[in-house]
Formats: sequence, structure tokens, C-alpha cells
Amino acid sequence: MKQPRAERADIGLLLEGTFPYVSGGVSSWVNQIIRGFPQFSFALVFIGSQPEDYGEMKYALPDNVVHLETHYLYNQHAAPQIRPVHGNPATFGEIKRLHEYFRFSDLHPDGTETFRKIVPELSAHGVAGLETFLYSHESWEYIKENYRKYCTDPSFVDYFWTVRSMHAPIWMLAEIAGNFIPVRAYHTVSTGYAGLLGALLKEKTGRPLILSEHGIYTKERKIDLFQAQWIKDNRNVFQRDPTEISYFRQLWIRFFQAIGKRCYDSADHIVALYEANRLRQIEDGAPPQITRNIPNGINVPRFSPLRAQRPVLPPPILCLIGRVVPIKDVKTYIRAMRTVVNRLPGAQGWIAGPEDEDPGYAEECRELAEGLGLSENIKFLGFQQMTELLPRIGLVVLSSISEGLPLVLLEGFAAGVPAVSTDVGSCRQLIYGLDQEDQSFGAAGRVVGIADPQALAEAALELLTEGASWRAASEAGVRRVEAYYTQEQMFASYKSIYDEATTWRE
Amino acid sequence: MAGIGFELRKLLQKQSYFGLLQAYAYAGIISSGPWVLSIVGILFVGFLSLGVVFPHALIVQFQVSVTYLILSSLILTGFIQLGFTRFIADGLFKKQDEQVLPNFNGMLLIVTGISGTFGTLAMFLFLPGMSVPYRLLMLSGFVILCAIWVTTIFLSGMKQYKEIVVLFAAGYTVTVLGALLMRKLGMEGLLLGFVIGHFVLLTGMVALTLRTFPSEEFVAFDFLRPGAMYPSLIWAGFLYNLGVWADKLMFWFYPDTSQLIIGPLRASLIYDLPIFLAYLAIIPGMAVFLVRIETDFVEYYQKFYDAVREGGSLEHIENMRDNMLFTIRQGLSEIVKIQAIAVLVVFVLGGTLLGWLGISRLYLPLLYVDVVAAGLQVVLLGILNVFFYLDKRPVVVFLCLLFLGANIAFTSLSLHLGAPYYGYGFAISLLITVLAGMQLLSRKLDLLEYETFMLQ
Repeated sequence: MKQPRAERADIGLLLEGTFPYVSGGVSSWVNQIIRGFPQFSFALVFIGSQPEDYGEMKYALPDNVVHLETHYLYNQHAAPQIRPVHGNPATFGEIKRLHEYFRFSDLHPDGTETFRKIVPELSAHGVAGLETFLYSHESWEYIKENYRKYCTDPSFVDYFWTVRSMHAPIWMLAEIAGNFIPVRAYHTVSTGYAGLLGALLKEKTGRPLILSEHGIYTKERKIDLFQAQWIKDNRNVFQRDPTEISYFRQLWIRFFQAIGKRCYDSADHIVALYEANRLRQIEDGAPPQITRNIPNGINVPRFSPLRAQRPVLPPPILCLIGRVVPIKDVKTYIRAMRTVVNRLPGAQGWIAGPEDEDPGYAEECRELAEGLGLSENIKFLGFQQMTELLPRIGLVVLSSISEGLPLVLLEGFAAGVPAVSTDVGSCRQLIYGLDQEDQSFGAAGRVVGIADPQALAEAALELLTEGASWRAASEAGVRRVEAYYTQEQMFASYKSIYDEATTWRE
Repeated sequence: MAGIGFELRKLLQKQSYFGLLQAYAYAGIISSGPWVLSIVGILFVGFLSLGVVFPHALIVQFQVSVTYLILSSLILTGFIQLGFTRFIADGLFKKQDEQVLPNFNGMLLIVTGISGTFGTLAMFLFLPGMSVPYRLLMLSGFVILCAIWVTTIFLSGMKQYKEIVVLFAAGYTVTVLGALLMRKLGMEGLLLGFVIGHFVLLTGMVALTLRTFPSEEFVAFDFLRPGAMYPSLIWAGFLYNLGVWADKLMFWFYPDTSQLIIGPLRASLIYDLPIFLAYLAIIPGMAVFLVRIETDFVEYYQKFYDAVREGGSLEHIENMRDNMLFTIRQGLSEIVKIQAIAVLVVFVLGGTLLGWLGISRLYLPLLYVDVVAAGLQVVLLGILNVFFYLDKRPVVVFLCLLFLGANIAFTSLSLHLGAPYYGYGFAISLLITVLAGMQLLSRKLDLLEYETFMLQ
């Protein structure tokens, strides 16, 4: 499909590994936002790893996307011709200061000034261009100096190439920033490379930068890096301290922390999906006064008619809605069902979600249900339409070990179904409320610890057997979702940010 | 050079003076064997023919003819020697052993074709008045020599030193015996002996190659593909050989210092003999060069690149670099020391030596200068070799060009200044090149890690 091109646009969306080439929660959200603001034109920058990793676009481009450019960080670029060059010692003084600021940001409050000085020099003609990084004596001396000072892994060649491959995308991003069309505001949907691009663009044009984080990029990267096999660890058995992660992993983690921090420092608005993430952002260096929560909203009118379809007494049916994968910890749910059925013999435990992602795990779950003698009570339903499922169940259950802002809880609330969830992501906020006003609605269910089938069962039994508790929870859920988690509110929040950012004048 | 370094180290590990002596003697023989044998062989043929071949001028004609053959074949094959050897070495590094023989055959075919064409042209253009047997012998000698040089450098590249020396010894024995048997036929007889002896030598080397690198395929021309051979090596080989011979050629064609020997071939009797004798005096230098470079230097060279590739610490890498630097410095200073001794010996015994050989003592000053110059040439070889190891080909080309230019310039000057200055042109050009080479080597080694990491 041909990529649209334009001379200018209202909002520049910076997208790393997501819309329109990758499907998923964040991509759907981006799609929703673009379509929700037909009054603005959007220019998209897609940053990917390499072209082979992506197929055709997964979404039809909305009409108000007037510009789309794609860039790949790990594409083989024609490196500048190899030749010895001379670096500028003063520039390397600035670079050193910048690194110190990344390392100990509290001690170097002038980091933004330093960053501002270096950014224009990243171009091919600048004193901190790619050639200078790759070929200059000063760069070589600087790399050696840092290896001696910090590196705890013996291998110099691995250190050298880690530093090189880690930094190489910076100049590419600088080039993208240099060529990007004029827009009125930048909106990045993650920190990381897209966030750094946002920071570079902000330095270049002074236009406002909005950051929306669905997860916490740096944290997710950290998990990836812990699992990455390609990162070398050359310490021998005597040098290795099992409590200390390999130096190159640390280096990568710090790199993403640094560019994340840089994005936080450059941003004008930092948006989290829910409170726990906002606090995490602040912990990672985001200035608290510009952070806020804008949760994902749902289309409440689609679910509100369902409330009337349910019998007055809640059916003793629990339902876990989600993919059957280990992160959802379906086994804890099945174990909890044993206790529930002991006390409430007619109870049913449904599992609504596709099983094709990890068939092995799904099989284990079926065997566990059978082993616990629950074949009659546990049903694997596969994927279900929410509007058909929700009127038939009495309780939404989430036993996950990790969640963000699970829409199934909100959709359940909108349909009047309370929830029992583990204490992960935003679940506590969704069930008990955040601030005082929110909490005054009451609990829309119960929150229990992870991997605790007994507590999960007790909470579910309480709600299913005590009609008053169930009704209070159901009512609290309806009120909470209508007060805070509607699509309209999400759009209104973003509208205020977009309006402010796009009317910004120099 | 795994093979030779290994054997030398084994001898050195005996930790006795005798072992040391053995190592150096061995190194001396394999490093200097071929050309010592050829110089001695040619002189010997002349020596044995004294009183048999008349007039005496015919012997000189033979020697000059052979010198021209050697000179022209070395310069012509200079183009391909280094480039081809490197191509094969890279192929072996990539474990493409079966590619060696077909490409060697292909290269030999090309060299034979080109040298045959050039030789035939030269026969008509430069030797029109000469007898047909003489012209045919010159042509075949030229082609055979071209093939021998490329094969020799190829086999040295493959570290077949011992075999080369043995084959040269055999070839020159046949040359001397053949010339001895056929000397009654006059100059053509001597030349026929020379051609037969070299044919034996070439056959032996080709047989050795066939045996060492068996292959299914017989002929291939992979080395001619664009990018297969480094142009810098092609030029370096040519420029070096031309540089070595430039002063001799100039002396041969400068009227005051030369005479017509045979047909259009001129020679400079006063200039040539001392330089050939001087080359015999660099045997100890060559021995030291081989021992030092092939054992100590290569050891640290390999450790350095192992450390770079296999994740050594920076400290270790720098340590190996320093050791490498130290072995180079030590090697060069040892070459200088041992050559200084050789020079002193020639200074003391030179006159007596010339007396034995029946050569006029008038040659003595020139011999002194030439011995110093030849010693410097060993140092230059050592420096170039280190640059080859470090893969700094452009530097090698630059040094060869500098040497050629300086040799032409200073030899012209010495010809202009007159007889007392003869030989100084060659010596000074080598001195300049050696100094420049050392300077560059020191700078390149300072930047070695930087260039290894940042500019690859």
C-alpha cells in the first residue's frame, strides 16, 4: 500500500513497533484515537526493527492520516565511508557530561542544557555526527576510558560492539527528526526509540511533546533483556556473581532508562493509563506535575442494556475472560474453583478466550480440571462475544500475574458484573477506586493476592452467596465505569491536551 | 607461517647454544637458499668455464644474458606474485583447499602465456641479430624463470621453505652439471645448461604443488575475478622489484659505466659484481629476520588478534600490542647488529675475498657500500613483512614507491657525481625508505587498536 505524504499536519504520532503494521492493544488504541479526532490531521512515523519483521498494514489507514513514513533501526545502512576523522575535544566534554547526567541525574540538573547543545550536532555536518562516533580518535579514547572505568565484563570486543550497536540508532533518529514534516505537536505512544525521537523533534522545533504510555516501556525492555540470549556474559566462574546481572545487560537496561528519562524530561504531558503506572513513571524520573492518568474508555451504551437481561439473583457462574496462557494463571483459577464447588455445588467456572496461543498450557489446564474432579463444572468456551456472555455470568475473574488496564473488568462493570481480581496493574484502582470520590462508590468486587486460590475462592463465594454484597458491588462497578471509564471521557481528556498543544505559539 | 615458526621454536627450546646455532643456520638456509644458490650457481658456471669456453667474453655474455632474464622475469611477475599469494592464503583461511591447485594452474597458464608473448616480441624487437638457438634459449629461459618466480613465492607463501631450498639445490646442480657438459658448445651450451636446470627446478616445484594440494578440478581462474586480488598488492610487487633493479638498469644504460655485451644487451661490470657479492653477505641478517619475525613477532601477533576476536580485556590487548612492538624493535635491532658484524667482516676481509675470486681491488669501495645497502634491504624486507602481517597494504605500496623514486633520483645523482659515489644512490634510497618505514611502523602500531576496532 502506498504511503501518504504531506507537507504538514496537526499531530505527529511517533509509533514504535505498533500501529499500523502490528496488531494489538496499543495499536487498536492508536486507531481509536486517530478516528476519534477527525478534526485533526495526523502524520505517522513508524519505527520498526527491520522490514522483514512486518507484513502488510494490519489496519486501514483512517482518512485523517495524511502522512506516513516507516523507518527500520536494524536495517543495514550504508555506513559513512571509513576514514579517520578528528573529533572535537570540547564536544566530547559535553558528551561526557550528558552521560553523567544519564548516570546520576540528580547530580547533574543541567542535563537538559547539555542535551540541547548536542542535538543539533548529531547531523552529518555537526561535530557529533555518526562519523565522529564511529571513526574519531576522541571517540576511541572515550570508549576505552569508560571501559576501564565501568565495565565489569572482561571482553573488550563485546563491550565495543555493544556500545556501537546501542548508539547507532541515535543518528538514524536524528536524521528522521531532521527530515520530518512540520506539525503542531508531537505525540509518542511509548518512550524508547520513539520517545527519543520525540525528544529530538522537540529540541529541533520547540513544539509540544505528548507522551502516552500504555505499559512502562523501560520495564518491558528490562524483562526482554533479562531473557535475551544474544547478550554476552564473558565472566568466568570465579568472576561471576549470580546476584549481579551481566554488564552488557546492565548497559542495555541503562541505555533504555536513559532515553526514557530523556523523553520524560522533554515531554510537556506525560499520560499513564492508571495510577500505578503514573507512580512508576515518577519513580523513573518523570516530573510529577506534568503526569496524569487517562484510562482507556469503553463504549458504555453497548453494555448498559445487558444489566436488565440478568436474573435478579446472580447466576453462580464465574468466568475468566482472557487467553489461556501462563500469564493469566488459569491454573490458580481452576484450583480456586475446587473450593467454590465444595461449598456451592452448583457453581460453574467458565473460561472464555482463545486457546491456540499456548496449546500445551491449555492442555495442562484441562487435565488439572479433570484431576480435581471439575469436569462438570469447568467449561472452556473459546472466544466469546462479550455482549452475549456477560448477561449469563455472575462474576468476572482475573487470576493474572500481570495486567495493565484490563478492559474486560470495565466491560463487566458496565454490564453490572462485579469482579474478583488479583492485585496487579490497575485492578485495585478499578475495583476499589482511586481518590476519595472514586472510593465512595464502594468496591466493585474483591482484590486478592496472586497465586492464592483459597483467597480467590473465598472472595468469589462471598459475592455469589451474599446477595447484598453482590448488588453493592455491581452498582459500584456501574457507577465507577460511568464516572471515569467511558470512551467520551478518554476523548475529552485527549481533546483538552491536543487543543492546548496544537494552539501552542512560539 | 605455522610450519617454519614451529620448527624454529622447537630448535630454540633446546635452550643450548647449539640449538640456537641450529635454528639460525636453518633459518639462514631457508631464507637465503634460493638466491644464494642462483648467484653462486651462475658464478660457478662462469668459474668452471674459464679456460674451456673461448673467448672469455662468451662467459660474460652468458652471465649478462642470465642476469637480464632474471631481472625482466622478476619485474614482469612482480605484478602477480603478492596478489596471487594473498588470494590463495585467504582461500586457505576460508578452508577452500581444493581451490588452490586449479587456481595455481590457471595462474601458471596466464603467466606462461603472457611471458611467452612478451618474450617472443622481445626476441624480434631486441635480439634481431642474434643466432636462432640463442634467441630460442633466451625465450624459453624467460618463460621458465617467470614460472619459477611465481611458483617460488607461492610455495613460500604456503610455507614450503625446506622443499624450495632442496629443489633449488637440485635445479642448480643440474644447471652447473649441464653447463659443464655442454660448455664446449660455447655460450649457447652454457645457456642450454641453465635452461635445462631451471626446467628441472620448475618441474619439481609443480610436482610438489600437485602433491601438496590435491584437487578434483584442474584449472580455474577465480583469482582474475574483479576484487579477487588486491590491486595494492599487485602494485607493491611490481614497484618493489622495479625498485630493486632500478639502479642496476641505470648503470647498464649509462654510457660511462657500461658496455655492450651481447646484441643490444649492455651491462656494467664494475657495478654488478660487487652487488651480487654483497647479497651473499646478508645471509645472517636474513636468518635473524626469519627467526625473529616467524617466532616472537608472530606469536604476539596471533595473541593480539586472538585477544581482539575472542574477547580479551583491553589491558590484555594492549599488553599484546606492546609485546608485538617489542619483538619488532628487537628483531630489527638484531638484524642491524648482525649486519653490522657482516659489514665489519667484509671491511676486514673484502680485499682478500676479491683476491680469491680474481676480482680487482678497485671494486672494494663499491663492495663496502653495497654490503651496507644489502643489509638495509633486509631491514626493509622485515618492515614490509610486518606491514603485510598488519595488512597495511597502502603503506607497503607507498614504501615501494618511495624506494623506487629515491633509487632513481639518488642513482642519477651518483652517476652524475662520478665513480667514488657509485653505489651510494642505492644505499641512500634504502636508508631513506627504511627510516620512513620505521617512522610509519611506529605510528601505525600506536594506532593499531584504534584502527583495528574503529576503522574496520
